[in-house]
Amino acid sequence: MQTSDVIKRDGQRPTETFDQAKLHASVLAACLSVRTPEGEALQIADKVCEVVMKWCETKPEITSADLRRKAAEALENHHPEASYLYKHHRLVM
Amino acid sequence: MAKKPTFDYDLIVIGSGAGGSAAATIAARAGKRVAVIEASEFGGESPNWGDVPRQALLHAAQLYDEAKHAARFGLRSAMMGYNYPSLHAWKDQTIRRTGAGGNRRYYENEGISAFNSPAHFLSPHEVSVARRHLSAEHFLIATGSHIEAPNIQGLEQVKYLTPRKLLAATRLPKSLFVIGGGSVGVELAQLMAIFGTKVYIAEIASRLLPHEDEEAGTLLERSLKEQKGITPLTQTRVLSVIKDGIGKRITFNRGGTEKTVHVEEVLVATGRVPTVDIGLENASVAYTPKGIEVNEYLQTTARHIYAAGDVLGHGSPTHTALLESRVAAHNILHPKSRTSPDYTATPRLVFTMPGIASVGLSEDDCLKRDLHINKAVAPLSIIARSNTADFRDGFVKIITDKKGVIIGSTVVSPHASEIIHELALAVKHQLTAQQLADTPHAFLSWSEAVRVAAAKLS
Repeated sequence: MQTSDVIKRDGQRPTETFDQAKLHASVLAACLSVRTPEGEALQIADKVCEVVMKWCETKPEITSADLRRKAAEALENHHPEASYLYKHHRLVM
Repeated sequence: MAKKPTFDYDLIVIGSGAGGSAAATIAARAGKRVAVIEASEFGGESPNWGDVPRQALLHAAQLYDEAKHAARFGLRSAMMGYNYPSLHAWKDQTIRRTGAGGNRRYYENEGISAFNSPAHFLSPHEVSVARRHLSAEHFLIATGSHIEAPNIQGLEQVKYLTPRKLLAATRLPKSLFVIGGGSVGVELAQLMAIFGTKVYIAEIASRLLPHEDEEAGTLLERSLKEQKGITPLTQTRVLSVIKDGIGKRITFNRGGTEKTVHVEEVLVATGRVPTVDIGLENASVAYTPKGIEVNEYLQTTARHIYAAGDVLGHGSPTHTALLESRVAAHNILHPKSRTSPDYTATPRLVFTMPGIASVGLSEDDCLKRDLHINKAVAPLSIIARSNTADFRDGFVKIITDKKGVIIGSTVVSPHASEIIHELALAVKHQLTAQQLADTPHAFLSWSEAVRVAAAKLS
């Protein structure tokens, strides 16, 4: 399985290799911030990561916006509130 | 003065099928720097796995079927048989001969850069192709569509066939359940039935070919049932598909009753969805699950990005995708004299036996628009050719407005796909039924039915 490279948003920072742990942590943080129990938050983060990883399989390069959008889409099915926060975290925080 | 940004290409075409190929060639011949990006096989769906191989097999199947039933003409055909691997070889030969299937070299000879990898937009003017970043002033998205399995319980867990997989299969299934009674579904159902497969075809609408004229759908359904032994299951919702031994067990609901049938294979011939997962959000191109939104000039919400073909979501046949591709190329090359695609006289074809072809408005369309119309139907049985060919199932229907101008037509007949072009010309140039009836039509041609139908309206 190939690893996707993530092109950062502003084009200034260097491209990174896709880091599943980083995605998992960000989804987990979004879930916890809307008071989701930790066990449930972990389960949701696992499922979201699975969906995003599958989507990345055929894409050698993606943007960080792609990653955020896909994760938010997957999160929407499990926790709409956390998904909203995840999608708009720059505006909300 | 601000410096004009420089790009790697003037035009990047994403997709090398009918929606992309014409535009790439036109732009390259006009001296533009062009690149074509193809995620799969060069040439796209139609020549590789769609129209061409299907038509090649249908041609052979229809010849075989006619010969098998030719004893009434005094021909001895009881020993007729076929060799499926040889039929496959014939199909593959037709693909090679089109020159469109796997035609990467064609693009390179035209001076077009060809890339064989999926494309993904990174920004409005930049795509990533196999970790290479390419920029262009204009883009044409012609990624086509793909089959997405309908939401049927258990379907994802069994190995189901798509039209592409069925045509590539090296042996015929003993029995086949076709989900979807549209044009591809009925063509493949007839093809398989001719070669001896027991076929069931399920359609959620009240008739097969629900987008065609009602009489055409009904006639074909009867023909498939009585002459080919196909079991049409209209008004049928498939509930579940379960693996059952070496075959599959399908449960469906028809008229409020649940029934089950055991078959060897399931063919999903419905649910084509536009291929839009190419990072369109990064390019600010608006789309819905039904396709990319374009204006009358085929421009997307990012005005330098155009789209053509199936990705627009209106299920365009190959000739419509080609038309859109040419229009997009014209609009990119001549922004001050932009044009829109004219769909009024685009024929719609179903390559069954008898064939079905239609153009312009159908009776249903006229009803929905509350148009006052006149119509006439000429059954094939009243023309001389039906006598000499011993073939009577079919008709020509012509619809005119109140002034007698032809606005639509449906032909159900052998060679319907040829006959329809006369009527397409009439629709495009607003000819009257009188003008058509006054035009001589050769004795013993199937087209005599057109004259007869037109004469009834004049």
